[in-house]
Amino acid sequence: MAVETTENGNGSASLLDVRGLVKYFPIKRGFLRRTVGTVKAVDDISFDIREGETLSLVGESGCGKSTTARSIIRAYEPTAGEIIFKTEDGDSIDLAQLSLVEMRPFRRQMQMIFQDPFSSLNPRMNIYEIISEPLLVHGIGSSSEREDRVAELLRVVRLRPEYMRRYPHAFSGGQRQRIGIARALAVNPRLILADEPVSGLDVSVQAQVINLMMDLQDELGLTYLFVSHDLSVVKQISNRVVVMYVGRIAEIGTPEELFDSPKHPYTAALMSSVPKPHPSQRTKRYVLEGEVANPANPPTGCYFHPRCPFATDQCKVEVPPLVKSKDGRFVSCHRADEIELTVN
Amino acid sequence: MTTETRQPTAPLDSGFRRNDVAAPLDSRVRGNDVASARNDDMSGGNDVASARNDVASSGNGESPVAGDAILSVRGLETQFFTDEGVVRAVDGVDFDVLPGTTMGIVGESGCGKSITAKSILQIVEAPGRITNGEINYNPSGDAGSATDLLSLGANSDAMRSIRGGEISMIFQEPMTSFSGLHTFGNQIDETLRLHTNLSKQERFDLGVDWLARVGIPNPTQRMHEYPFRFSGGQLQRAMIAMAMCTNPRVLIADEPTTALDVTTQAQILDLLQRMQEENDMAILFITHDLGVISEIADDVTVMYLGKVVETGPVFSFFDEPKHPYSKALLTSIPSMFTSSRERLPSISGSIPHPQNRPMGCAFHPRCQSFMAGTCDVGEPELQSVNEEQEVSCFLYEGQ
Repeated sequence: MAVETTENGNGSASLLDVRGLVKYFPIKRGFLRRTVGTVKAVDDISFDIREGETLSLVGESGCGKSTTARSIIRAYEPTAGEIIFKTEDGDSIDLAQLSLVEMRPFRRQMQMIFQDPFSSLNPRMNIYEIISEPLLVHGIGSSSEREDRVAELLRVVRLRPEYMRRYPHAFSGGQRQRIGIARALAVNPRLILADEPVSGLDVSVQAQVINLMMDLQDELGLTYLFVSHDLSVVKQISNRVVVMYVGRIAEIGTPEELFDSPKHPYTAALMSSVPKPHPSQRTKRYVLEGEVANPANPPTGCYFHPRCPFATDQCKVEVPPLVKSKDGRFVSCHRADEIELTVN
Repeated sequence: MTTETRQPTAPLDSGFRRNDVAAPLDSRVRGNDVASARNDDMSGGNDVASARNDVASSGNGESPVAGDAILSVRGLETQFFTDEGVVRAVDGVDFDVLPGTTMGIVGESGCGKSITAKSILQIVEAPGRITNGEINYNPSGDAGSATDLLSLGANSDAMRSIRGGEISMIFQEPMTSFSGLHTFGNQIDETLRLHTNLSKQERFDLGVDWLARVGIPNPTQRMHEYPFRFSGGQLQRAMIAMAMCTNPRVLIADEPTTALDVTTQAQILDLLQRMQEENDMAILFITHDLGVISEIADDVTVMYLGKVVETGPVFSFFDEPKHPYSKALLTSIPSMFTSSRERLPSISGSIPHPQNRPMGCAFHPRCQSFMAGTCDVGEPELQSVNEEQEVSCFLYEGQ
């Protein structure tokens, strides 16, 4: 499925095609700020996002999932790679090559939702000002049209338009996250990059926001790139999931594939770590030993080999490419077709 | 946050082994008679108590038996006296922690779960104050030997020897709970200096020993390192080592895995369970994550806006939750077993600000089973609905 788009490029259904994306951050030290090393935050990854789907990036902290999202929207300058975006009239444009001015119209089509609803809204701006700012930036509408649009957006995210003149402090966390969503929707984007959008919310409010995001996707035909470390939330919202480990992709698949029959030992370990929803399912956990590799000084070969129970000599030297396995899944593991993995 | 790890230096006379501690403690206690009277009262109906009596001395991690609670919280009220008015953060909370078992306290932000934990150790920060209640601590398991910690006074020697000694605490953010200015060795040494009579070398060796037991590589070298050299998971292990080094009878864990990745969380939960088995220790585990509760708890107490809405064994809670809030929580949380792209039932509204507490049952504006004229008028009391579960909800009134 994903083959067409990642392998021969112009898959008709993909809205965004990320190819060989690399983002290194220099480590600067000393008086002269000389570069003494690089943090390989994102290290040659390729995946595509299809129109209307939710693609999730998961992994532990520091695995490069947020850096990937930020590089796509060019909040970070990618070190290398292509970010092919399909425009509304069907053209393909490599966003990585655009200047910041040329990038501007595409920014309108890609909006972000942030993690912390308490720091992502300016406390000195009222809700009308916050939500209408993207319209102002992109020069859309007259002031009365903007006001109508903000009222409409507030209704879309199930908030009362009368609240428009209130300030963020008057809202709860879940309400603030809705305001953040309304702001992202203001310019009618096609792709929403949501970076841990429900992590800062109380559990009783999380479901409201997830349901809202899924409803909006159906109503407005949105495509989501969803970044999260919460695998239960990811399982609920995603059509496909990309599992990342230290800047590289371990595995891509549907939630069911990854959760029920993982191919990469890291995916299996990750899934096994998730707490079981009922005490009767308590089992001996497959606890991953050791620590996440340091992206400034990663191990040789497969980055996961020091923690992998199946590692061979080959894994210590050779980087496993992300390849299609026998049953059409994408896995980067030398032994994907030999080993039997179960999640318990 | 750092009260636990950076205690004021005051020489303390408490012995190291918990069995030594239990005896001198009683002699120091004022109001002991009252405490024992209550204790009898409370243990009524639980006659298996004697089974636990020898545990303190033998210290073998046998399977938990219902009996005298090691920690019994009754009518705890902690209020914050702010300029805007009084916030009743903890508003009449009751629960029991049985020896060697894990009591999970679940709740969302503002439900008072952390303040309850801090109240037990009397480390509530101003303008907060414990205004009412009892915290009966009974390390020996003998009926009548419980101590009401609140009668000890927050700065008394007895309370100081219990805090961090017999009852330890680990915090949510390991990154901010250590002092960045002292080596880890120095910080664990301070705890041991306060709670043991060991020599400097013995304290160092014990520190190394504990770092090794919680799974930190090169423990001797790590004793000389500063906290910034540890990763998040390692810091949480180090904090567990520090909390465990005095062989506490009760460990209070306030969201110990919330800031960690799932893989690290699994490591820490495993470690805590191992520590509990090896040391026959009770754990009060505070979290908002029902998944973690299902993994680690023996009993569950659910809190909402400063009150206990439901308490009972973990299996009853997951199989047959009673309170509408518990039911809604359990169905609204995505789990690995819900199918993907499925809409979950959600709880409408959000948690009220503690200053604008709704009249009657605090959950009534969000409740599916709201009964007008009842739920918005009176406050429901916590009452038994069967042998195991207690619920505060008018649906079960008069059953």
